[in-house]
Order: sequence, then structure tokens, then C-alpha cells
Amino acid sequence: MSTLLTVEGLSVRFSGLTALDDVSFTLEDGNVRAVIGPNGAGKSTLFNAISGYVTPTAGTVHLRGQELTRLTPHEIAEQGIRRTFQNGGLFPALTVLENVLTGLHAQTQGSFLDILLGRSKALKSEADNIHRARELLKLMSMDHMADTRAGDLSGGQQRIVEIVRTVASDPPVLLLDEPAVGLSPVARAQMMEIIHRLAGEKGVGILLIEHAVELVMAAADRILVMAAGARIAEGTPEEIREDRAVLEAYLGHS
Amino acid sequence: MSQIMPSARQRKMRTLLFWAVPAVLLLLPLATNPYTQFIANGMLVSVLVTLGFTLTIGNLGQLAFANTAFFGIGAYSSAILAAKLGVPWLLTIPLAGAFGALGGFLASAAALRGIRTYYLAIITLAFGELMRWAYLHAKPLTGGTDGMPMPRETLLGISLTDDTLKFYIFLAVTVLLVKATLNLMRSHFGRAVMAVRENEIATASLAIPTARVILATFMWSGFVVGCAGALFARHVGHVFPESFGMLHLIASFAMVLVGGLGSVLGAVLGAVLLTALPEYLRAFPGMEELFFGLIVAGVLVAMPMGLASLLRRVSPIFVERFYREAP
Ligand SMILES: Nc1ncnc2c1ncn2[C@@H]1O[C@H](COP(=O)(O)OP(=O)(O)O)[C@@H](O)[C@H]1O
Ligand SMILES: [Mg+2]
Repeated sequence: MSTLLTVEGLSVRFSGLTALDDVSFTLEDGNVRAVIGPNGAGKSTLFNAISGYVTPTAGTVHLRGQELTRLTPHEIAEQGIRRTFQNGGLFPALTVLENVLTGLHAQTQGSFLDILLGRSKALKSEADNIHRARELLKLMSMDHMADTRAGDLSGGQQRIVEIVRTVASDPPVLLLDEPAVGLSPVARAQMMEIIHRLAGEKGVGILLIEHAVELVMAAADRILVMAAGARIAEGTPEEIREDRAVLEAYLGHS
Repeated sequence: MSQIMPSARQRKMRTLLFWAVPAVLLLLPLATNPYTQFIANGMLVSVLVTLGFTLTIGNLGQLAFANTAFFGIGAYSSAILAAKLGVPWLLTIPLAGAFGALGGFLASAAALRGIRTYYLAIITLAFGELMRWAYLHAKPLTGGTDGMPMPRETLLGISLTDDTLKFYIFLAVTVLLVKATLNLMRSHFGRAVMAVRENEIATASLAIPTARVILATFMWSGFVVGCAGALFARHVGHVFPESFGMLHLIASFAMVLVGGLGSVLGAVLGAVLLTALPEYLRAFPGMEELFFGLIVAGVLVAMPMGLASLLRRVSPIFVERFYREAP
């Protein structure tokens, strides 16, 4: 097991509001780390800071020892940290297949000129990517939906396609922002199964924001608990279950 | 609802059809008189103008109205290069395209600085008017209100005032640029363009450099429309500032919409039909503009997605997607 992601002292301030306050943790390959905390705790801000969408006011992010802090979102994605969005990030007018293909953008061969002239180098790469995208959809039993507009899918199907698109390039690190929100219990279970498989079979390191505490306890190797931007607890599900601070601040017990 | 995609056989037919159209058009000069040949040449110019426009406003989804500026830049570049520097007109076509691409670069700079939606619309409209002001006032270079005549020139011993010769050159340029644009849109680049339109933030999370995509789309659009400008300069033989005003912009916008936003096929259909329409409306003197407007509005009410959407329903051959299946 090796450390993929190292977050140290990460802080984000929005004109007076401290949305993220000195948060540190690591993520190992094949591990699922859940991030929990009440609404407004700064979970999405943590993801935005790691993936380059907001500039941290302090702290660093390293991927396998290489510093990524202050790179742009597409550069960070290219380095191997891929994410989904709390409100869904699919392209509704594109088909399911086209959506998954956008996840393979960075590994496409061929210059602008190669594409313009329809050179075989560009065509070959396109064919390879289409093949790969179809395989990925088959793995998730979504291949019969390949030609459907993403906007016409059900909420659960959209979440799954977004994950397929996000993992298409085999990224070492995945940030999933509430991937199971709004799903039926069956779809939720299916989603957790997918997350489990990605970590277990492919060795992906996964950061998972999720509200349903029972799901988190079952799916996560470690848990980071946040409130008001700060980390209030960190540990295995068993440790978190016992933690007084968590019980008081988050789980609402006395 | 799953879209019906063309089968392998239909894809072959589509390729065949694509090349059959220009092949048949090679015979067109046999069926035209000088007047209708002139109209047909104008259609080819409009196809390229509409194609460039639909890329930025339809596929990329940016409210950018610098298209007529690109067109004027192309036409004046061609005229100035040919008349002042003696560059053979044929050579001025790619050069005019390059200047058009430069115009695209400038327009994208606004979008990349975060100027979007209505603000981008107004700033690109101002760009077009600024260019027209420049044509009027840079008199030594552009001839001001008198415009610029294209120099006499022959090609293979035929004068470049010959509309049949022009038709073959225009056709070759149009087919090349339409094919190149189709290649572009049916690649990972074309998908990235659509992705930026649909969700720019999510696009960046897929390691797609959104700024470069926006820049390249505007530049390719400017290139295509700049080339169209060079064709236009030869088409009319004399470049005037008035050709590049609001009227041209509105007409091209109508072609984009009637054909179908973001559709290459639609750009071709919209340009051909709306270039032909005024010729038929000549039978109603004084009512031409009114009828033109009513017909455009009628098509858009009946088919908000344009004529291309009608053909898509007829056969999957006309379905345009943003990937390219191996043959
Ligand atoms: N771009 C922003 N500008 C200003 N405030 C923001 C921004 N993004 C988030 N916030 C604020 O930061 C706090 C944390 O938000 P967020 O990270 O979305 O919480 P969570 O995902 O845990 O629900 C909230 O108070 C939110 O209003
Ligand atoms: Mg959130």
C-alpha cells in the first residue's frame, strides 16, 4: 500500500468566511476515505481546493510526492486526480458514449492538423477510444444506453455514467461528491458496490463525500469528519463510531 | 430515448452521398445561365460563412457575433494582397483565412477574459462595427467608400471574371473546408467543443484545456469565414464596406437558425435555401423583406431545431454525432 494523495494544512477563505480550515490527511491506493460532516462543513470546498477550482489560501496538495497546489483544474485532472460534481457534471446533449469518450480526451493521439485531414493516426486513436468506452459501459451494464442522450437518463443512470466517464482514463485518485444523493435504495447499493470494486479491483484511491452514515460506515476504510471547515475527527469507522466529538457535533447524540 | 444511429451500411452510403453531391455539382454549369451561375457561386460563399458561424454560436455555444467581421477581414485581406501586393488570388484564399483566424483569436480573447453571454454579444458586435469603420477610414489601404476593385487576373488562360471558373474553385474550397470541419467535429476536439457549451466546469475536470478549445474553435471559425471572404472578393469583383454590416450578420444568423444551430448539414441547407429565397421573392416587389422574414419565422416556429432536424427524422444517415466509428 502506498500513499497517493497527501493534503497538508489546506485552508480556503472566501472574503471573511473560513470555508476550509487547516485540513490534513492522506489517501492510500485501494482505499476509500469518506468525508462526512453537516451541510456547509466545507466538504465540497475541500474537493474544489484539491482539484484546482478554488485557490487555497494556505496548504499543499501532493500526488505521489509531486506538488499539485495551484495548478489549473485540467492540469490536475491530467496528473491523475479526477472528480465528479455534487450537482452532476454530465453533458446532457451528448450521448452516453460521447460523454464517456470525453473522459478519454487526454489520451487521444493526433494533432489538430491530423484531425482536420482525417489522418489515420487520429482515426486509429478515435477507434481505440470508442472501443474502450464501449467496454467500460458494458462493465457497468450500460452498453445498451450508449446512444441515449445523457439528459434523457434517470438520475441514477446519470450518476453511474458520470463515474464511468471519470474513471475511463484509469486515474489513480477519484473524488466523488455525493455520488449516491437522490438515488433509490437499490441504486445507492449499486453505487456503493461500484465504488468498492474500483478501490478493491483497480486499486483506485477514493475520496467519498456521502451523507448516509450507515453507507459510509460500510464502505469506507477511513473517515474524515468535518465541521465548520475544520477536521474534527479522523479514523476507521469503528473509531469514528466511538468518537465523542463526532457524536456531539455531527451525529447529534449527547 | 435512444437515438437511432446509422448502421455500417448507412455510414458507407453517407460517405458516398457526401462525395456524390460535389461530383454531380461539377455538371451544374451545363444547366445554368450567367445569372443563375452567379447565384450558385454566392451560395457556396454563404455555406462557408454559415459554417463558421454555427461552430461558435451553435457548437461552442458562445453568443459571439464577430462572424461578419471575419468575413470582411477575409475579403479585404484578399483584395489588398491581390491589388496592392500582386499576390495571385488563389494564394490569397489561405492567407485571408489566416487573417480571419487572427480575427477569431481576438474575438476569443474577449470570451477567455470572462466576457460572456450578452456582454460577449455586444463586444463582438462592436468589433464588427469597428472593422467597418476601419474599412471606411483606412482609405489608402481600403479605398474607403469607393471600395477596392479586384485586379484583372487569369488562371489557365481564363479570366477570373468567368463565373464557371470561379464556380469550380469555390466548389473545391467549400468541399475541402466542409470536410475538414466535419473531421474536426467528429473527433475528440468536436466533443470538447460541445462539452464546453454544455458544462465548462465539468469539461476542465476531464483534463480538457477549455481555454485552448475556445481559442481553437474561434480561430478555425475565423479561418473558414476568412476564406469565404476571399471567395466573396472575387465573386463580386469589388469589395465595399457596406457588404460587411448588420444586414449580412442578420442574414447569416438566419441561415444558421433555419439550417439548425450547431449542424454542419444545417449550415449547408440554411445557406443554400436562404440565398435562393430572395430570387424567388423578386416576383413580389416591395414585399421581399416581409416575405423573407415571414418564411424564416415560419420555418423556425415549425422546426425550432432547423431543417437538419427534419432530415434526421427521415433517415439516420443525416444524424450528426461527435464521434467517428471505424468504417
Ligand atoms: N465559491 C464560494 N464563495 C463563497 N462562499 C462559498 C463558496 N463555496 C462555498 N462557500 C461557502 O463555504 C462553506 C462550505 O461550503 P461547502 O464546501 O459547499 O460545504 P459542504 O459541501 O460541506 O456542504 C459554506 O458556508 C458555503 O456557503
Ligand atoms: Mg457539498
